[in-house]
Amino acid sequence: MVVLLTTVGVLGHHYGSEGHIRRKLGQPPLAKASCFYCHFVSTTRLAWAQPRPHHDSPAGLAVSPDGKRLFIALDDRDEVAEADIGSRRVLRRAKVPGGPYGLALGPEGKRLFVTCRRGDRLAVLDAETLKQTDSLPVGTGPTAVAFCRTAAGERLIVANSMSDDISVISLAPLKELGRPVAGREPFAVAATSDGARAFVANRMVGLSSVKTVPASEVTVVDPATARVVRRDTLESAHLSEGVGLDEKRCWALTPLVKVRNMVPITQVAGGWVMSSGLAISDTKRGGIVQMPLDEANDFFADPSGVAVDPAGHRAFVASGGADVVSAVDLDRLAAWLGKADATERQEAICDLSLSAEYVVARIPTARNPRELVLSPDGATLLVAERLADSVLVVDANRLAPLGRIVLGDGGMEDPIRRGERVFTTAAYTFQHQFSCRSCHPDGHVDGLSYDFDGDGIGDNLLDNRSLLGVAGTGPFKWNGKNPTLEVQCGPRFARVLMRTEPFPPKQLRDLTTFIRSLPPPRAARNQDAKLTPSQERGRAIFFATRTPDGREIPLARRCVTCHPPPLYSVRLPFNIGTRGEHDTTEAFDTPHLLGVADTAPYLHDGRAQSLEELWTLYNPNDLHGVSSYMNKIQLNDLVEFLKTL
Amino acid sequence: MKDEPPFAWALSLLVLAAPALGLKAAPAAPDLPFPLIERFENFTMKDGLPSHKVHCVLSASDGKLWVGTYQGVLVREEGKFRKIGTEDGLSHPVIMCLAEDSRSGDVWIGTMRGLNRYSAGRITTYTQTSSGLPNNVVYGLDVVGGSLWVATAAGLGVLDLKTGSWSIFDQSNTVMHEPWVYAVKGAGDRVFVGVWGGGILEYEFSTAVFKEHRDPDRDFHFDLVPDDGPINDITAWIAWDDGILWQATYFGMSRYDGLRWRTWQEKKSPLLSNFLNFIWARGRVAWVGTDRGVSVTDGDTWVNYRTSPQGQGLVEIARPGQPPQTRTMPTHLANDFVLGITADQREAWFATSDGLSHATFAQAQK
Repeated sequence: MVVLLTTVGVLGHHYGSEGHIRRKLGQPPLAKASCFYCHFVSTTRLAWAQPRPHHDSPAGLAVSPDGKRLFIALDDRDEVAEADIGSRRVLRRAKVPGGPYGLALGPEGKRLFVTCRRGDRLAVLDAETLKQTDSLPVGTGPTAVAFCRTAAGERLIVANSMSDDISVISLAPLKELGRPVAGREPFAVAATSDGARAFVANRMVGLSSVKTVPASEVTVVDPATARVVRRDTLESAHLSEGVGLDEKRCWALTPLVKVRNMVPITQVAGGWVMSSGLAISDTKRGGIVQMPLDEANDFFADPSGVAVDPAGHRAFVASGGADVVSAVDLDRLAAWLGKADATERQEAICDLSLSAEYVVARIPTARNPRELVLSPDGATLLVAERLADSVLVVDANRLAPLGRIVLGDGGMEDPIRRGERVFTTAAYTFQHQFSCRSCHPDGHVDGLSYDFDGDGIGDNLLDNRSLLGVAGTGPFKWNGKNPTLEVQCGPRFARVLMRTEPFPPKQLRDLTTFIRSLPPPRAARNQDAKLTPSQERGRAIFFATRTPDGREIPLARRCVTCHPPPLYSVRLPFNIGTRGEHDTTEAFDTPHLLGVADTAPYLHDGRAQSLEELWTLYNPNDLHGVSSYMNKIQLNDLVEFLKTL
Repeated sequence: MKDEPPFAWALSLLVLAAPALGLKAAPAAPDLPFPLIERFENFTMKDGLPSHKVHCVLSASDGKLWVGTYQGVLVREEGKFRKIGTEDGLSHPVIMCLAEDSRSGDVWIGTMRGLNRYSAGRITTYTQTSSGLPNNVVYGLDVVGGSLWVATAAGLGVLDLKTGSWSIFDQSNTVMHEPWVYAVKGAGDRVFVGVWGGGILEYEFSTAVFKEHRDPDRDFHFDLVPDDGPINDITAWIAWDDGILWQATYFGMSRYDGLRWRTWQEKKSPLLSNFLNFIWARGRVAWVGTDRGVSVTDGDTWVNYRTSPQGQGLVEIARPGQPPQTRTMPTHLANDFVLGITADQREAWFATSDGLSHATFAQAQK
């Protein structure tokens, strides 16, 4: 045994030594590596590839016209449930494959429209039987649907969160009329009762230079013609997951996170980094005022769904990170806006004391309230408590909870579910300003670059990285200094970001378990489908050892040397010639490429807005792979292959 | 605003002398197979245009007119022009071409440096460095089905509007003789591609194959055998409608009905000039922008609009088997060097090297 261990140790030392790694990489390693960086790597053994428990997490909600029945989308179960609101009992469930997420009912209450987020389709159910009567492919990742009746016929408006577009669908016959482009990650939709306009809230900011103020948009669609008629800009704001209409005042209400990513994130203590708000857009003319929902010393993180009562007196906003529904008195809000001049309106979002003027109640909920809906008469508010597997029933007049519709047991035996609860709560951050989810919606990425260093405002931004598929890709951070997720999310994170005590050990363990369970972003290509000729050619370029004219590509500058499958990362830092003037190092972590097409912008500071720019603009010396020989067709082929990972 | 002739006195003399010169005033409604222009209204820098040169015009499905100039885009809505320039996010001020996606209403804007998508006020830019666009010099555009076809100085790009994927076709993977693609036009189940120096390519969707149409005599300056194919390989522009393809070259004009070619040159036909910048097809009629004015023809009957050396607007009508007629007009094109045209049953717009012209038609047409 001693001999064996000694032999293994000697061989390990020899082959795991710098010399061995240099031979493998064609350059000296800039950090220490173990045998497991290159050997025995398998995605099938990673946490996200393992079966996991499923939960009764409520997503979209819809109330029947008589206000008695509630339909609940259970995307994690591939089910739609029907509940009796009065008795708060679940009446039945029906299988709807593809991750049913967004719901809408036809006006007569007989047809239930369901967006299937994973299945990229719209399902039509008979609301009486919950049987599927029709189905239609839509864009990728549909999260929300709204019904409206126009002069040209009945319409459905579907927000396709992953393909960044909107499916406008006619019902007779069931057919997609058009798919206009939305903003980035359209997530919620509401249509006016006359069918003249639909409003689509987009979750992410548009791509732009990292040193410009980011902005997201509310996309305004004409349902009759399937055309976008206006794009209302939400400046310095993002993560809008809901939209509601006050038709009396011609208002569209969109919850938002006011983000200030270009101030040093160490300014959390000053309340400078992010706050919650409600955008009020004029549905006719498009002017927007952003109003705060937070209080000066207490924040209500991750605003999500919004519901407006039919009389236009109140709006309700779910704060997923704070476990609260805020009740906004729209009459008082309108009165304040009526008195405010243009400057006061412009600066309102920064004055957190203002919320006292119109937020009349904070209704506590169970974990992670997201979607909410009012009964047609406005008397009952229903709140999807996503991570508690329940729906809270609230008397909307008295602002008092009446009880719960229990869908599941909350999943507290499941460490992944417990970890998601930690991930989505703002309880651990200073003044409850944000949760992990505030920068990593659904574990993904908000598309922003943040100023993490104390070297001046906006001088040294770092691209936010997706947490999807990070299991097994450590070390972490762009400088590769955090060996594990436990370190990444541990005490230093608390000091720099949370400005509070670190996560307790058990919560930290659950949190990292949840993060490891997150699979990579869904690739554009169906994993079972064959590569197209272009993707095949791109694959050959990715794995090439020689240029097309026969010259050998140096080992250190082959794509596959630093990005070997199955993770497409060797997990070591390299100098690829991207050091910026404020960077303290020239070596940056090698990101994995699983789902890379869905993680723009690129490079450590987010300077590359597209995959193409990695090589057309930011690889002048062929340090980030030898790309200078490629013509545009070859580069396009390479990009098409990367999109399949 | 009215266009003032530069020499009013000369115009007065010409009008007075017109009967003696054999010129007649333009008829209100002659019996023609296409509309006859009654008058022009011109817009120049004096009227607020941002540049002398107007390169292209697009009549959008929502009634707006889009005008591509040397200094940005103008959008005419309810009689007023609004400018969109680099300050609004356009990739370059020099606009080369415009195309509308009629389903979404988005307008694609090709410039001397990059491609832009204008979608309800938002401009998204595609360049050869930020996207799969083959080259930044974008000469022509057309939305065909769910794809945008882009004619560039380094090949043909095709953007799948649903997936965002680009394909490139050039001399390395097609029969394309040269990479300089000047024009592209969807034609139902196929796409025609005008190549500068390479004639015309025909791409059939069912076979995914490019077929080449070249000038059989391959001579730059002489068309040795008429009607034997494209008149020249130097394709400046192409147009297609109702089963008819039209080719504009600097050496004459061609028409292709899928079986037969016909060719025209100025010395053997009423065509105003061999130097064709642009061609616009509506039904079986071609509107031809030349360096000497506009020719309109169905291949048999011709009407030319040009300006006399004295600054007088002239209409020349040539019918088969009838002597040509030349008549005067009260107005004329902003400039006879015509770079772009859009025309329907009600009106026509002309992009010229010195202003934009709006043409209204005589009331009755055949």
